[in-house]
Amino acid sequence: MTNGLTAQEVAATMNEFGLVDQVRSNRIRIVTPLPRVREALERARRVLACDHLVQIAAVDNRKSFELIYHLTGPHRTVLSIAAEVPRDRPEAPTVSDLLPPAGIYERQIHDLFGIAFVGHPDLRRIILNEDWPGDEFPLRKDWKPRPNVFYGGVPEEAK
Amino acid sequence: MPEVVVPIGPHHPALKEPVNFKVIAEGELIVRLEIDIAYNHRGIEKAAESRDFVKVVPLLERVCGICSHSHTTVFVKGIEEVMKVGVPKRAQYIRTVIAELERMHSHLLWLGVAAHEIGFNTLFMWTWRDREAVQDSLEELTGNRVNYGINEVGGVRRDPTDRDVARVLRRLPVLEERIAKYRRMIAHEPTTLARFRGIGRLTREEALRYGTVGPTARASGIEYDIRRDDPYLAYDEVPFEVVTDTHGDVYGRTLVRIGELLQSVGIVRHALENLPGGPIKVATPRAAPRAEILSRYEAPRGELVHFIRTNNTDKVERLDIRTPTLANWTSVAVSLVGQHLADIPVVVAAIDPCLSCTSRVTIVDREDRETKTMTWEELRAHGMRFYREKRGV
Amino acid sequence: MKLSDRLLAWARLKSPWITIFNSGACNACDIEVIAAITPRFDVERFGILVKGTPRHADILIVTGPVTKKQATRLRRIYDQMPDPKYVIAMGACGATGGVFRGLYHVVNGVDQVIPVDVWVAGCPPRPDEIIDGVITCLQLMKEDLKHGGREWRTKRTSAPPAAPPEVTA
Repeated sequence: MTNGLTAQEVAATMNEFGLVDQVRSNRIRIVTPLPRVREALERARRVLACDHLVQIAAVDNRKSFELIYHLTGPHRTVLSIAAEVPRDRPEAPTVSDLLPPAGIYERQIHDLFGIAFVGHPDLRRIILNEDWPGDEFPLRKDWKPRPNVFYGGVPEEAK
Repeated sequence: MPEVVVPIGPHHPALKEPVNFKVIAEGELIVRLEIDIAYNHRGIEKAAESRDFVKVVPLLERVCGICSHSHTTVFVKGIEEVMKVGVPKRAQYIRTVIAELERMHSHLLWLGVAAHEIGFNTLFMWTWRDREAVQDSLEELTGNRVNYGINEVGGVRRDPTDRDVARVLRRLPVLEERIAKYRRMIAHEPTTLARFRGIGRLTREEALRYGTVGPTARASGIEYDIRRDDPYLAYDEVPFEVVTDTHGDVYGRTLVRIGELLQSVGIVRHALENLPGGPIKVATPRAAPRAEILSRYEAPRGELVHFIRTNNTDKVERLDIRTPTLANWTSVAVSLVGQHLADIPVVVAAIDPCLSCTSRVTIVDREDRETKTMTWEELRAHGMRFYREKRGV
Repeated sequence: MKLSDRLLAWARLKSPWITIFNSGACNACDIEVIAAITPRFDVERFGILVKGTPRHADILIVTGPVTKKQATRLRRIYDQMPDPKYVIAMGACGATGGVFRGLYHVVNGVDQVIPVDVWVAGCPPRPDEIIDGVITCLQLMKEDLKHGGREWRTKRTSAPPAAPPEVTA
């Protein structure tokens, strides 16, 4: 295992994307505009030796959505690459071709938040049941179950 | 890159959930595997946003009943870090002991299940009988065999007496001896050798590329272990080794888990013999300040991650859970391409997902365009028949 | 009863076959059910066998709060079982949805989907409590045989209580 990455090392490579911030002794956060996410991840992978995608965290902060890609590598430092997704246009470029595990993670985020990943080979439903309405995204902050809508399970008449 | 494989992964629970597969095959050879595992989605992440730090812990405990301590520990340690509270040493040691006992019960469970998948039911019975010693220890220390409820934000809820500690220590030598026996058995039994060696192989590059974690990754020579890479609880004080292997197949994963069992016995022994005195919990504020934290933990199945955002209240703003099984499903789909249908139960079991009690496999044969459905039981029986005819095991 | 019926009844009571269905559980109940088979608790000494298919089962053990994705499958499994069939709902989840009650993807209990005969309390219930639940189910089977079916305990014997009068003022 090599030594951890310093904020300076990370900033030297990633500064052009946005703010680089050491948030914990072993975690460095980089903000990047959404269209440059793929480039930022590739740069982290190639130059900073981040070979492991830990998680794609998705958050609804009521104003917009955020996607935070956590990566790590033999240096054991976690790089969190954060991008904002506008609420009125919930789309993001896929990274499943760069980082294969993202294939499942993006499908899950799509089901729960309704963010469409452009270029994903197969954005089918994965986590919610097949009867769940296609236009309702339960993990959005403004989602509440509506009365008289069938969300899956055994329909009332069949009981 | 192999044919576009689009595996469908489980949500939170790391094990034993119902699974549905779709296999595209040419005769006996797998061309593509699709996995459908959303049967366990309950809506826990959303519920966590409306339960305070006391109420959310029992909910998170039941994300998965086999690694329940993992989920509660990774959560409370994240909140404790956000609150900047110093958890007493004794509590950290107790949490470590329970964590390693959980790893032991989980790996013994897995060993039994893997044996059951290849029809080796004697080993299944033996490992689960030995597992009862671990369950007894857990019950003495926490009050329950499963879903221990030992964690709370700020420490642990129960303090073991010297007698409890002595009783647990007394069980360890027997466990060590039995585990060493299993290691010898695996290396010499014709059945395990035939069904595990060369099956589900992942090279180091593939394992990294497809995001594998835990014993599955360590069997391919990847030395990632959160206990070493991002130490938490008492792991920076207790001596242990990260177990890796280079086989990269199911046999390697078996060896890694058995190695980890022995390491865990050592950690439990060291932690109990050196259990610090003092309080088991510390008072914490009701609310957590606004912050973002990525809490990581080495669960029995691999790297477990809780991404938490807090917002000056007594509830989380967002809790995003990534379980190790979710990370490993991609590698299952990849490593099964080119293998036989008969190998599906073993390779799936090797990443240690939950028992697939209600799984079904749909097999589409490209050669004769026939589609048939098999239950997991039928697939397991098919596997045993295949190897009996082919290799006489 | 005819001799063949008596024989069948005896066989069912002496050696009931069980099938387990996980309706979206956290798996704690499932592993305690399986621990009941293993040497420490050894439910097989009672002649109880765990079978993978519902078509051969007398008793269906359901774990989990029943997620919306599993509900129709649970119904189907129940319909596939031959009569007389019995259902044991495992744990707090099986009774009311347990700690998951009210979550958006959960149906809140097995009896919302299929009729239940025995509820076993616990989260999870211990293997000995599970065996106790199965024995209770066997006793229920015996009682049902005496009454010629299960109607004696499921038919309503009196009218439901009248709704309380509207409170005004």
